[in-house]
Amino acid sequence: MQSQTRPSLDIYLSLLVLALVVIAQGTLFSRLRIFDVGPNLLLVTTVCWSLVQNMASGLVWGFAGGLGADLITGMPLGTSSLALMAPCLLAGFGRKTVFASNLVLPVLLVGLATPLHGWIVLLSQQAQGRSIAWLSTTAQVILPEMALNALLAVIIFPLLRGLALGIGITPLEK
Amino acid sequence: MKRVSNRTFLFFLLASISLVLLVLSSSGHLAPVEGQLGRVTKPFLVAFNGLGRQISNVFETVRSLSTLRTLNSQLQTQVDTLTIENLRLQEAEAENQRLRELLRFKQLNPIYDFSGGQIIARVLSQGSTNYLSTLTIDLGSGQGIKAGMPVVTERGLVGRIYKVGPDSATVLLITDPSSGVQALVERNRAVGVVNGRAGSLPVMDYIPQDADISVGDLVLTSGLGGTFPKSLVIGQVVEVNKRDFDMFQQAVVRPTVNFDRLEFVLVITNFQPLPGEPGELESVG
Repeated sequence: MQSQTRPSLDIYLSLLVLALVVIAQGTLFSRLRIFDVGPNLLLVTTVCWSLVQNMASGLVWGFAGGLGADLITGMPLGTSSLALMAPCLLAGFGRKTVFASNLVLPVLLVGLATPLHGWIVLLSQQAQGRSIAWLSTTAQVILPEMALNALLAVIIFPLLRGLALGIGITPLEK
Repeated sequence: MKRVSNRTFLFFLLASISLVLLVLSSSGHLAPVEGQLGRVTKPFLVAFNGLGRQISNVFETVRSLSTLRTLNSQLQTQVDTLTIENLRLQEAEAENQRLRELLRFKQLNPIYDFSGGQIIARVLSQGSTNYLSTLTIDLGSGQGIKAGMPVVTERGLVGRIYKVGPDSATVLLITDPSSGVQALVERNRAVGVVNGRAGSLPVMDYIPQDADISVGDLVLTSGLGGTFPKSLVIGQVVEVNKRDFDMFQQAVVRPTVNFDRLEFVLVITNFQPLPGEPGELESVG
């Protein structure tokens, strides 16, 4: 009986955390500006969750979280989902390394995921007909955001690992 | 045939859905759905936005503190600069006032025939010691200054030129023990000699016993002896010493000039002291 209720509890709790992250990103973190850019809590959480749990779970978080983020930010639905799911693939590959449980890996992966996420968003915007200054945006937005996200990962990764351990979620696959 | 893993399938499935949503959303077909979803999420966003605003205000306040501290520092520097500037202007105004008074004095004393005469000189140092009461001015022989020339301010007699250098001159004050000024009491024209005294006020000697001298009487130069021009204010009688057995009476005189606060003096250059007058006068030029 307990084994039947646990997964549904985990899902609800995960959804709640995800919803909180999405809303926090759209409201709190959007106000936090350092070097004229803000950290992306949703991206960091999605990548870290992919490492803590598994890639499939990260993909779901990226998809759902991306839809929520698009709803809040007013971007076309699907833009953030696409941009968030690609970094989850990176995280999935990272899980197979010996550094999977090390704090260096999430920081590194978040650092790599940030430009990937940013360029996908820029690409989707360009596909919609917007003029994009790739170089200046990369230099002035993506690079500073990389540093901020990497720093944020130092905080978020242990929290998510603690959450996963607390609610008894174990990686479904290695 | 290679089997596609679940997670790869999931990725492509979600990516496909995302792409479809992206296309539909970009073309505006999802606007009603987005509107409904937006309505659902609005209360949460409003609540979190309020919280975000408050947190942002906290950060803004912290950030403002740093800015305010910097601004305060800049303003403090500006205040310091303006204070110094203000003091400088006040000093200039005071200096201007003093020069005006000297000029007024010059205009009010036409009897001295000051034409081409008086020079406004800046006091360089006040060398008064217990033994010698002098001051130095920044005018010397180069500016036509000669030994014996009277030195005055708008308040009265200061002394006379004692030593003359090329660009400076020493003034022997009337308070110096070696100084003697022929004087008279303005009220009754009683004559005497005002002599300086070490460490105390000058005294007017040789006043005839029958002269009526009172405290408060004004003492002027008499012009006798040819050392100083006539009618320059020396000071006021503050004490009278009269003893029946003495031939003369004495009056202690408080100079009208405050020697401790002198900054500008006038040298009367067109007044020629009579030859043979004070032997201490010398030229070092």
